[in-house]
Amino acid sequence: MTPPPYESDETLGARLRAELPRHSAPAHVRATVVQASAPARRPTPWLAPALSAAATALVLGLVVMMWLPRVVDPTEQLVRSVVAEHMRTLMWGSRHSQVIPAALPWLTQESGIGLKQVFAGDEILVFVGAEPVYLDERRGMALYYRDSDGHLLTYIVLPFPGMPILDRWRVPIERGQTRYRPALVRGDEGFSTWVWRQGDLACFLVSDMVSTEDAERFKDYFVRVRRATDPVPAQ
Amino acid sequence: MSEAVPSDDFQRAALEHLDALYNFAMYLTRNPPEADDLVQETYLRAFRFSHRFQPGTHLRAWLFQILRNTFLTFYRLRERESALAEDGVPTWDVPMFHDAPEESAAAVEAHTDLERALRRLPEEFRTVLLLAEVEGMALEDVARVLACPVGTVKSRIFRAKERLRGLLRDYTKE
Repeated sequence: MTPPPYESDETLGARLRAELPRHSAPAHVRATVVQASAPARRPTPWLAPALSAAATALVLGLVVMMWLPRVVDPTEQLVRSVVAEHMRTLMWGSRHSQVIPAALPWLTQESGIGLKQVFAGDEILVFVGAEPVYLDERRGMALYYRDSDGHLLTYIVLPFPGMPILDRWRVPIERGQTRYRPALVRGDEGFSTWVWRQGDLACFLVSDMVSTEDAERFKDYFVRVRRATDPVPAQ
Repeated sequence: MSEAVPSDDFQRAALEHLDALYNFAMYLTRNPPEADDLVQETYLRAFRFSHRFQPGTHLRAWLFQILRNTFLTFYRLRERESALAEDGVPTWDVPMFHDAPEESAAAVEAHTDLERALRRLPEEFRTVLLLAEVEGMALEDVARVLACPVGTVKSRIFRAKERLRGLLRDYTKE
């Protein structure tokens, strides 16, 4: 059918409703779905005592937990948000390549972060793009890089004076005369995150490099980004 | 791990949306076997987590949300280089999912220009049109499914229609 070029929103909506074929669920899908909850509904003689024991253990556990000091780690919380942002970028796609000097004034204005020096990519990591971000009520900046194997790296800077970093997370890295002690956080989602402080700013570098072979490379990427990037709160 | 047993009422109400969910799954995956899997997985999750459903809220939107999230989780996105507009939607036409089986043997053919054009829309655009226009879902429910503000839904619908019109015009010229 040939659509008129001036088709209005309403007409287009009506066409979508009227012309798109509807696909009904096949019988086998319906049957499977109907049966889906059946196993859980079968009486199981051992279930009641097992549940009872589990419930008792749970209550005891909760009682014990109530006496423990409740620790909500703001760094872990932020790392989760940073990883979510990285995943969002993977999902929605990253920006077209940008020339970083051209993007800087806008980025600084939007993010509240200035870059005295910035890693603009090299023969190993290609700079992909940059954008302001807003994570956990903090306005900051994200820069994206990609390595030759296609790993996307998201570097995020957020204001967080005195961000706590647990010592047990820290990994010593030496390059020449320079020593770094960033923290490495590995989540269940298949991403690793370097976390470090630069002045009053919290910095993160996320990628899906979690294997042993990737570990050294990810360390190298951290060094490349870390030593060539100097973020500061914008005035 | 023990699973919550969905009530008969919940089960009955959920099953009323089976055809609509299947239709949505078909337009997302374009592939009957994958749509089968997607819908079955959606119901498994819905039954498993039925205790989390808040009675009084919209079951239909909740089920569509589970389906879409399951789709996004299972169909791994491959790398793309695309621009993002202000509402976070890519501004070009490549299929969002590498696994979207445009050329696989099981893929369903598009018979009309409208189907072809819809198929070429990025997933975010296709989804808002399917939910808002085809399923007639309220904007608030679409926003819930997409986990974004209502304003973003409106903007996406507007842009999706613009894009769709453009594609249809292109087909007319061909």
